[in-house]
Amino acid sequence: MMRVEFFLLIAALVFSIGAVGVLIRRNAIVILMCIELMLNAVNLTFIAFAHERQEMVGHVFVFFVMAVAAAEAAVGLAIVIAIFRRRRSADVEDASLMRW
Amino acid sequence: MPLLIGLILLVVTWTVIRAVFPGRPLVALVPVALAGAALLVLFYPALATVEFWAGLIGFVAILSALLVVIHPNPMMSVLFLILNLFCVALFYLMLQAEFLAALQIIVYAGAIMVLFLFVVMLLNLKAEEGLRIGTGPQRWGAFGLGLLFSGLMFWAIQNRGRLAYFAPESAGGGFGTAREVAGLLFTRHVFAFEAVSILLVAAMVGAVVLAKRKLG
Repeated sequence: MMRVEFFLLIAALVFSIGAVGVLIRRNAIVILMCIELMLNAVNLTFIAFAHERQEMVGHVFVFFVMAVAAAEAAVGLAIVIAIFRRRRSADVEDASLMRW
Repeated sequence: MPLLIGLILLVVTWTVIRAVFPGRPLVALVPVALAGAALLVLFYPALATVEFWAGLIGFVAILSALLVVIHPNPMMSVLFLILNLFCVALFYLMLQAEFLAALQIIVYAGAIMVLFLFVVMLLNLKAEEGLRIGTGPQRWGAFGLGLLFSGLMFWAIQNRGRLAYFAPESAGGGFGTAREVAGLLFTRHVFAFEAVSILLVAAMVGAVVLAKRKLG
């Protein structure tokens, strides 16, 4: 059977890729997708530990993370649509009104 | 393990040949396909091992995650993200989380990604010219932080034995089934469950209000 470290390593790599994507991409939709990538990596970690310790609480956590991810995607995409309607662009550089 | 490494090397070779000879896909496809078939014949017992399939799924998961980030076309990013979600769902199956694997495909790959796909098509986003990924210090800072962060997590995984740690208890019968998840969800975590339902309603109303053209 697979060791739990294997799944942890995959999750860590996917999380890091998602984090770098949030930092380097300028397209708001791709940034939202990278956030989904990171949430998924965390879910995989939860499931891996739940399996190792044979506790179901990790599964319940993943359920809640999925619900929050769905809410976050809906609101985030609505904001992207609203900004696109005003500025004709989904580039985060063009939505810099609240920048310090 | 040699089969997996061979297949990964073949994918890398294929990409390199495609980059060297653009516009001639057969030049790359034929030798790589022949080598792949030869590898499969030589190492076919490896096909029956869990490790090979786990490694293959892991490779595909990381590759598709990378392509989500570096592909200039948002449309392709969405499709690669769906591939990544499927790989993670397969990992859930390996880790005895059958109910969540089904949820992952229905909720994530189904509902959420359709939402993304819908918005990408609605906004008709073109591929970014030359992949505008930040400028100068921001770009190198991002890569530095990413490396630092993954290094930190590798270190934590290596040294996690030193942290407080409990031996796993004996496996129960229905670990990971919908029955077990629901049993916890509707008893110990029922308050969080109701709070999440309120959150979802708020997000739904918020999304409609935000995307509405004119209020009132």
